Amino acid sequence: MLRYLAKRGITYVFMIFLTTSAGYFLAVSSLKPALLEQERIPRPTPEQVANSMRLKGLDPELSPWERYVEWLTAIVTRWDWGRSPNGAFINAEFGDRVWISTRLFLASIILTLVIGVALGVYSAARQYKFQDRVITSYSYLAYIVPAPIAYFLVQLGAININETVGERIFFVTGISTPGMAPGWAQFVDMLAHYAVPTIAITLVGWGSYQIAQRQYLLDNVNADFVRTARAKGLTRNQAISRHALRVSFIPVAQSIAFTIPAIFAGGFFAEKIFAWPGVGSWSIDAISLQDVNAATATLAYGSVIFALGAILADFATTLVDPRVRVQ
Amino acid sequence: MSSGTFIEPADPAQAPAEQLHVAGNHPPSDAVLSVQDLNVSFNTENGLVHAVRGVDFHLMPGKTLGIVGESGSGKSVTSLAIMGLLPPTAEISGSVRLRGRELLGLSDKAMCAYRGNDIAMVFQDPLSSLTPVYTVGTQIIEALTIHNPGMSNQAKEARAVELLAMVGIPSPKNRLKAFPHEFSGGMRQRVMIAIAIANNPRVLIADEPTTALDVTIQAQVLEVLHTAQEETGAAVVMITHDLGVVAGIADDIMVMYAGKPVETGRVDDIYYNPRMPYTMGLLGAVPRVDVAEKSSLVPIDGIPPNLLHTPTGCSFAPRCPLVADACLTGEPPLLPAAGDTGHKAACIKSDELGTDVDALEIFSAPPVPVSRFDSIPRGERATVLELRDVRKHFPLTKGALLKRRIGTVKAVDGLSFDIREGECFSIVGESGSGKTTTLLEIMEFHADQDGEVVIGGISNNRAADAKTKAAMRREMQMVFQDPTGALDPRFTVYEVLAEPLQNAGMDKKAIRKRIMELMKLVGLQPDHVNRFPNQFSGGQRQRVGIARALAVNPKLVVLDEPVSALDVSVQAGVINLLDKLRAELGLSYLMVAHDLSVVRHISNRVAVMYLGKIVEIGEVDRVFDNPRHPYTRALLSAIPVPDPHFERTRERIILKGDLPSPLDAPKGCNFATRCPVFAALPAVKQEKCLTLEPPLEAVRPSPAAQALESQPASSADQKFACFFPDGELDEDMLVVHDTADPHAP
Repeated sequence: MLRYLAKRGITYVFMIFLTTSAGYFLAVSSLKPALLEQERIPRPTPEQVANSMRLKGLDPELSPWERYVEWLTAIVTRWDWGRSPNGAFINAEFGDRVWISTRLFLASIILTLVIGVALGVYSAARQYKFQDRVITSYSYLAYIVPAPIAYFLVQLGAININETVGERIFFVTGISTPGMAPGWAQFVDMLAHYAVPTIAITLVGWGSYQIAQRQYLLDNVNADFVRTARAKGLTRNQAISRHALRVSFIPVAQSIAFTIPAIFAGGFFAEKIFAWPGVGSWSIDAISLQDVNAATATLAYGSVIFALGAILADFATTLVDPRVRVQ
Repeated sequence: MSSGTFIEPADPAQAPAEQLHVAGNHPPSDAVLSVQDLNVSFNTENGLVHAVRGVDFHLMPGKTLGIVGESGSGKSVTSLAIMGLLPPTAEISGSVRLRGRELLGLSDKAMCAYRGNDIAMVFQDPLSSLTPVYTVGTQIIEALTIHNPGMSNQAKEARAVELLAMVGIPSPKNRLKAFPHEFSGGMRQRVMIAIAIANNPRVLIADEPTTALDVTIQAQVLEVLHTAQEETGAAVVMITHDLGVVAGIADDIMVMYAGKPVETGRVDDIYYNPRMPYTMGLLGAVPRVDVAEKSSLVPIDGIPPNLLHTPTGCSFAPRCPLVADACLTGEPPLLPAAGDTGHKAACIKSDELGTDVDALEIFSAPPVPVSRFDSIPRGERATVLELRDVRKHFPLTKGALLKRRIGTVKAVDGLSFDIREGECFSIVGESGSGKTTTLLEIMEFHADQDGEVVIGGISNNRAADAKTKAAMRREMQMVFQDPTGALDPRFTVYEVLAEPLQNAGMDKKAIRKRIMELMKLVGLQPDHVNRFPNQFSGGQRQRVGIARALAVNPKLVVLDEPVSALDVSVQAGVINLLDKLRAELGLSYLMVAHDLSVVRHISNRVAVMYLGKIVEIGEVDRVFDNPRHPYTRALLSAIPVPDPHFERTRERIILKGDLPSPLDAPKGCNFATRCPVFAALPAVKQEKCLTLEPPLEAVRPSPAAQALESQPASSADQKFACFFPDGELDEDMLVVHDTADPHAP
């Protein structure tokens, strides 16, 4: 098991290095932070701009290769991912943003998985009945509606409730109200901020798991081994829950394992719409602000999350399927 | 309704009143399972399908009933209806009584008290019938837990070990923790049987339990079923399409056609004195492995009826050669046949059909075709295909990036044989013996092959350019096992047949003419050329496949299991066609088949393969009548023969275990690990088998045999690879069920 992990680890480190390097070259040759500086009022002289950039390690006069070597040396020797054009340190910024993304997505992804899988099983057991049709139609609708629109709709709903009640129950944007004293009031304030994004992300997210779990379970409901289990003396429902469910969970477990690291990676739309400054919105901002180092750092982080997901998915499969063995 | 058909042989001195009682609607009180007027229909998109129409039988304790029928005859639906395992959409009526208690109409939950306890089932496909994520121990113990909630864990585990040992799984205690994928197909079927007999059921239903298995494994599994029946005293319902499988083990037979029992009776009555044309046709349609005399098979034209429409007359009438006007009005009831007790047939002419009626005559089987090559001695005919020392070794590697070679799979290991004009050469063996790889090596001939493949006089060593290759290709065409998969569903038959002709550069007019010719040649209506493959039945599709192979006038046709996907009654027609084409067109065949009866019927020569090597080769009658290699003997003794007397008294060699993995192949004789002769040899001689590889040598007849032989011994066409062909067979591997025939008059 450890050998397998080491082997996969080395492969992924190599792949992450490749994607990150390629990303850096792309960023460094297309993002020009010096141009943005020139829009300042009063307009700085080109010498001033170049000077300030050089101080932040973003010298525009060096060739991409020279900058790449400098950047890579800093990471390898000092674990320093560089600075943004505004002077902020990537390392410091990063920690805050990952924590924000995690807080935003943790609850909703867990809810998404639990509700999605549970509804998948429930609807598969009632195939083509009224409940199944309602649930599955909803899932396809959630699939089709673009996430930003769904988020806006949930926001509108929350605003409506606020207006109807005549009091601000939900906050539709932001993380917390600044200046709250710690205690009960702060906790309620946190819940009021959490509720809307969590509900929105969950409502949009569970559909795909519901459809997948329903499909995989239906594939197995009439399997030969379920018939064998019934021939032993189990009722249909017992045979399905003891035999078909376990087998149908194999592919779902894999995709769940793949999703879990995504909790820490955040999402562009949710973070933008609910105004939570996490990793997702940062990666978009980095590009619009011509921030080479931040864009590359978010890319590297995404690759790491992906690799973790892939390794977790392998483990999840070995855990639930005795036919698969890692070596 | 049913009578004493399935009770003990009727007492001739039975009082008339008792006979009346038996003939009435009352099931015999001691029947363990009574099915009366069972009807099952399914509501489908196309309408109501009447899958089962009026099945009646009474099963006595410890007896075996064989239900025989082709696909779609309703035999599996009958068994699932008894078990209560049909989907809730099925409409079921009639009565199923288990020891007097009515099972139909019980809820799923109420049925659970019986399923797996009093009545258990073994299914067809052992590969998919066990849950892949649980150990076999868990699955056996589950069956015990359901019906014995009070049993202690130790007791359940001990019982599971006992069950696995009973069905012949080596080191059962350790194997409890193994998962299904760690077992072979035959072993999984044993586990299925262990699960079924876990609670000592009174009735055991086996639905095609050996259809998915090799013949040697089939013999093992049937033996296990026999043991299981003896141990538990259960009555068995054996469902099969193979008349051979049930001949030796069944007490009674029910033949089903189009959802209805058309003939029922004691096994001897059905096999030796059939009273219904369909049964007669079925019996005549299967070739026999033990008969050398060549006669055509009985072809049953047409296809089984569509069960969407309730037949107005006899359901077999459209295919029956004896059909009369009376057959078309009203379905004939199942009535006692004259002269036989308990023998019933659903045919208005059953009284005219006695023992002296020949099925070949009724069904007007074609005469045995004679080829112009038959009179020419084999040595004087041209060679169509020759293989010299062909090898195909697959490296077995480990590791993802840097591959290490950890062994070699010798799929084909030094094969040499030749096929002459006008002859049919067959390769037989278990799955994994290298038959298919051999065919692929021939079909994919290329210059850097290991060994030499000579097709129509051209060696593969010279097949470097496309032109030579094309010339070689034209000599040789292939017919595939699954006719449905082998035809493009979006091509009409015309397009299917035109493709090879266009490739050969024929012009449009000639192509059209040739296609019409081909259609007639394979017995299809020429005006059906614009139909798509799905508008044909399986047998007709295989005929299209044959026509496609024949389009470019090849010398050699390679047949890969040409009839194994077809129903028995359809199979006979295709075999007769192949026979006819060989004679008329002077074709040669290279056939791979697992059904040795079919092989014996159409082949002239045969090679028996084991783990990539030929262990015995020669003229088919010599090899089958006087097999020298212990493996050939075991293989032949495993083939069931549709003859109850013969089956009951024959001595079987039951091989131990499965085909070994090619990796574990021993250094000496490949077969030593399973050999019945080897097992009985003294250690000194065993040493020879283990260290030396026996060469393929011609039979050296004993002086006595030489005196009897009319031909000089040197011309005997039979070679085998064994050091001790005359050795004693190991007693443990020999099985005879009962020498005395209980039904003998």
